Amino acid sequence: MSTFAIAGRELRSLFTTVTGWLVLTGYLFLTGFFWTAMASMYAMQSQDAIVSPYMAAQVDMTDYLVAPFFGNTAIVWLMFCPALSMRLFASERKDRTLELLLTAPVSTAEIVLGKFFGALGFVAVMLACTAHYPLLLMRWGNPDLGAFAAAYLGTLLLAGGLLAMGMLFSAFTESQVVAFVLTVAAGLTLWVFSWVGGGADSLASQIAIVTHAQDLFRGILRLSDIAYFIAFIGVFLFATHQRVESFRWS
Amino acid sequence: MAMIEVEHLTKRYGTTLAVDDLSFSVERGEIVGFLGPNGAGKSTTMRILCGSLGATGGRAMVDGIDVMDDPRGAKRKIGYLPEAPPLYTEMTVRQYLRFCGKIKGADKPRDAAEVAIEKVGLTPVAHRIIGNLSKGYRQRVGIAQALVHSPDVLVLDEPNSGLDPAQRAEIRTLIEELAAGDTTVILSTHVLPEIEALCDRVVIIHQGRIVAQNTVDALGGDARVVKVTVDEPSPELAARFEAIAGVTAVKARGDGLYLIEGSTDLRREVAKVAVDAGLLELSGQRQLEDVFLQLTGGAE
Repeated sequence: MSTFAIAGRELRSLFTTVTGWLVLTGYLFLTGFFWTAMASMYAMQSQDAIVSPYMAAQVDMTDYLVAPFFGNTAIVWLMFCPALSMRLFASERKDRTLELLLTAPVSTAEIVLGKFFGALGFVAVMLACTAHYPLLLMRWGNPDLGAFAAAYLGTLLLAGGLLAMGMLFSAFTESQVVAFVLTVAAGLTLWVFSWVGGGADSLASQIAIVTHAQDLFRGILRLSDIAYFIAFIGVFLFATHQRVESFRWS
Repeated sequence: MAMIEVEHLTKRYGTTLAVDDLSFSVERGEIVGFLGPNGAGKSTTMRILCGSLGATGGRAMVDGIDVMDDPRGAKRKIGYLPEAPPLYTEMTVRQYLRFCGKIKGADKPRDAAEVAIEKVGLTPVAHRIIGNLSKGYRQRVGIAQALVHSPDVLVLDEPNSGLDPAQRAEIRTLIEELAAGDTTVILSTHVLPEIEALCDRVVIIHQGRIVAQNTVDALGGDARVVKVTVDEPSPELAARFEAIAGVTAVKARGDGLYLIEGSTDLRREVAKVAVDAGLLELSGQRQLEDVFLQLTGGAE
């Protein structure tokens, strides 16, 4: 129960701080830009397809619009998730409010989960604000809604992974800026692993966080990808749990 | 069974010993004051008792529950006000106290928040954002947070800091009421009159150890000082003071001021003698401050 209370407070506080609104506005601006660019491109490709039967067989809304859109906006999360996670523990320690949670009859796991789901809840709100894209497509086209659902799930898992990692960094410093920079740096490092040679099956590519989101963006639900994200999130939540426990011994 | 039982509590930070083999107990409904200079280990002891800090050795029990073995059970019984009130400044007072009620396991968080607001006198500012409140109100929100789940034990670290005299009196009344309703209170302060006015018992801590613990009267009562100022000081007068039964020392401080120490209340006898020499001023001084300074080495 306390997990819900903590998550709720965390979510509400994002709506009362500049950071929250800045992230939401920035996200909607950037995704809006991406969407417009990609939808125009897709419209052009569709027109080409009218005169070319070969193209017509190729052009598919999921592959030519949904997947590239979510793939491109993924980079946005790399910047915005650290902005959401940086405050989770850093500000509590700086303002000495963590004492309230540590002396309340709640377990460390409840605190960590509450904070994680609070931040993830904000991501869900951000995603919900883009719901008009599939709705618009339904008005003028015939999108694969299953693919959209998979892409949203992929985004949520990707954001969850970045938030969990960012929360750990946030628990190691009282400075939100330090937590932000560390999270972006770590996220970027995990990202560029996918560029390291060896193809999609190489170890580096398998470690890279974005590789596992790529198929979900294309509407392909694979157990290995889901398992990767769940393990990724789990490891960082556990590490954060251990870190918060250690506050009692410092 | 005592409400709070602390046995051989030790806390080490690296090589520094912050709390050194501390043992004490507090009965239900008692108000106990922690007294000691800054860095004596008061806050550390309180934090261990409230479960935000682990002890290196020894144990602390609240109503028979070990805070290490069953932290959740123990914390439910404790309301804690840290030295810096843990306030989420972006929330309103009401939102904040409802949140506190929820995570602290109050039966009905909404009602509990309203009761706490009423008790601590926050009604006029309940709808305001904590960040915009004055220090006095913030301190009160901190106290409200500590008692929102009606705990059996209140642990208050410097509850009076930042309050003006009128607010101090209100908080004192509140603490007295709570104690009368069987709440056990531990508070720390360096304001001596506060301890004298409020506490049943004083625990003086210095360098992590308990150097004295007793009732306020017992601690300050053994030795008393009468300060007297007369118009015509003379050596004979000092001799007459010394002749009073019970006087242990007479110190002349110039300008007609004498400090007369004794084991009982000497004001009446001293006054009788001093009148002949033109009594200007006479006051009896409680010795708690002297005891405190002596024990904590602050007198030198």
